Amino acid sequence: MYKNKIGKIIFWAAILCFLAIQVYPILWLFLASIKPATELAAAPFSLPRSATLENFAKVIGDGKIGLYMWNSIKVTGVSLFLIVFLSATSAYALSKFAFRISKKIYALFTFGIMIPVQITLIPLFIFYSDLHVLNTSLSLILPQVGFALPLSVMLFVSFYEFIPGELIEAAIVDGCSSYGIFWRIILPLARNTVITVASMYSILIWNDFIFANTFISENAAKTVAMGLKDYVGAFGNVDWGATYAAIALSILPPLIVYFALNKWVTAGMTMGATKG
Amino acid sequence: MGILRDKKAYFVFLLPGLLFYLFAVFYPIEESLRLSFMKWGGIGDKVFVGLDNYVQMFRDKVFYTAFFNNLIYLVIVVSMQLLIGLLFAMLLSYMTRGVTLVKTLYYIPCIITTVAVTQLFRSMYATEPVGLINQVLNFVGLKNLTTSWLTNIGTVLAAVSIPEGWRFTGLYMVIFYSALVSLDQGVIESAKLDGANGWKILTKIKLPMIKPVLLLTLTMCLTGALRGFDIPYLLTNGGPGNVSELMSTYMYKKAFSSNQYGYGSTLAVFIIIESVLVIGILRAIFTSKEDREEKHQERIKRKERRREHV
Repeated sequence: MYKNKIGKIIFWAAILCFLAIQVYPILWLFLASIKPATELAAAPFSLPRSATLENFAKVIGDGKIGLYMWNSIKVTGVSLFLIVFLSATSAYALSKFAFRISKKIYALFTFGIMIPVQITLIPLFIFYSDLHVLNTSLSLILPQVGFALPLSVMLFVSFYEFIPGELIEAAIVDGCSSYGIFWRIILPLARNTVITVASMYSILIWNDFIFANTFISENAAKTVAMGLKDYVGAFGNVDWGATYAAIALSILPPLIVYFALNKWVTAGMTMGATKG
Repeated sequence: MGILRDKKAYFVFLLPGLLFYLFAVFYPIEESLRLSFMKWGGIGDKVFVGLDNYVQMFRDKVFYTAFFNNLIYLVIVVSMQLLIGLLFAMLLSYMTRGVTLVKTLYYIPCIITTVAVTQLFRSMYATEPVGLINQVLNFVGLKNLTTSWLTNIGTVLAAVSIPEGWRFTGLYMVIFYSALVSLDQGVIESAKLDGANGWKILTKIKLPMIKPVLLLTLTMCLTGALRGFDIPYLLTNGGPGNVSELMSTYMYKKAFSSNQYGYGSTLAVFIIIESVLVIGILRAIFTSKEDREEKHQERIKRKERRREHV
């Protein structure tokens, strides 16, 4: 019994230790963002003795973060709509129609999972500068959607496989067209897959850095993840408090999505993992 | 295989997604391949130079530095993600209450933008003001180990690898955990009845049973690490000098800082070949084992059938 108790203590200590390594830095970030500047300089890693919203006021006050957030919302919103719409329809064609070519096209989609996004940077940069669409939200949406399609098509196809053929046959007998079957039967049933895909990609797209850093250089079009780079040094390198406040603000939306929908987010991400 | 036969509807549903995908993913691949045989500085005409860029790459000292740095980065990232992820998943699988909460919290770093992760680690590595890591070292009396982690050429490569490893341990933990708890309890119960202790059950039954998941995550982890870019780029951008240069940061530098779009594309093509090769090799190892087993089973069956005939 005694031995068991010690074992239990060690077990819990190990769990808490792992958890602390993973969570403490983020907790600390939020704490640091509400610390007054003097305290942050003197004792950066202790608990705040007095809280202040000064840092947030400063960051919101200069207006840039609002603009960056708006840009991120635009890019994320349009991309999500396209990802869900394009993959739900393509997956429907691939899994519910009796054409043999579907197998090859599906393989083509899955091939995309292997492709590193870096390959697109140079060609798309040249393409965009020829078309004068660098520094627009459009330049981010194209690669975001393109690279999301392989996995989201796979997620939709694997869900559609569960929808029994009898259901579709019955709909055909009732005089429903291929379009009607999609809108009235398939898509409403796929609600969970839609939520999975949308919640996962809202986080991934909101967080994207590499595309934004390559295709966006003007302040007017910067997304939040990229705009954060501004805050480092912009306040004369001394004002870490404002930097942390900006970071805290920018990671808040993904955190909210995650805590509200975490079952779907992790389901999507781990599915993506085990399918790749 | 589906049952609908309306050809027009098939293309109406398939083509928007397929065309978008082909344009966003395959057009850039084709362009990269083409550019990798060209010399182009961003203005003027592109000049076809044949294999010159590839010859240049294999003579480029920095390319080899980046390649070997990438290997070290890969080892650190993969071992952190898989080992810590697996260890924590095993611990969690013995937990009875609060698993969901712990899992949810543990996963948080995966959903935070790399820019924020970089800032966090930059302030932890800092020397002025003294960052968390040096503070802890001071506190436990290892003052002589404190260093400027990001400018010391002995530590910088590890310092840019660790944040990436840290960031995704939660993802692998969740995958391993769901694999571990979905194992067939009957097998474990009967092993217990046969007198196997906890350690034996873990090493002889549970781990071999999740082997497919281990291989899958290894593939994922390796290809993820081969593309590693954000954190090394933001933390040091390959510096000091080229000490922490990775393939992708070097590619980025060549293309977007030195405007060598042709040579940059050659490096990008190399990254693609690398990733596809790694996946191919792992799949070959994986499937050949299954195939061998299948063939073995068939042979046994054939023998049995022969015996029955006799």
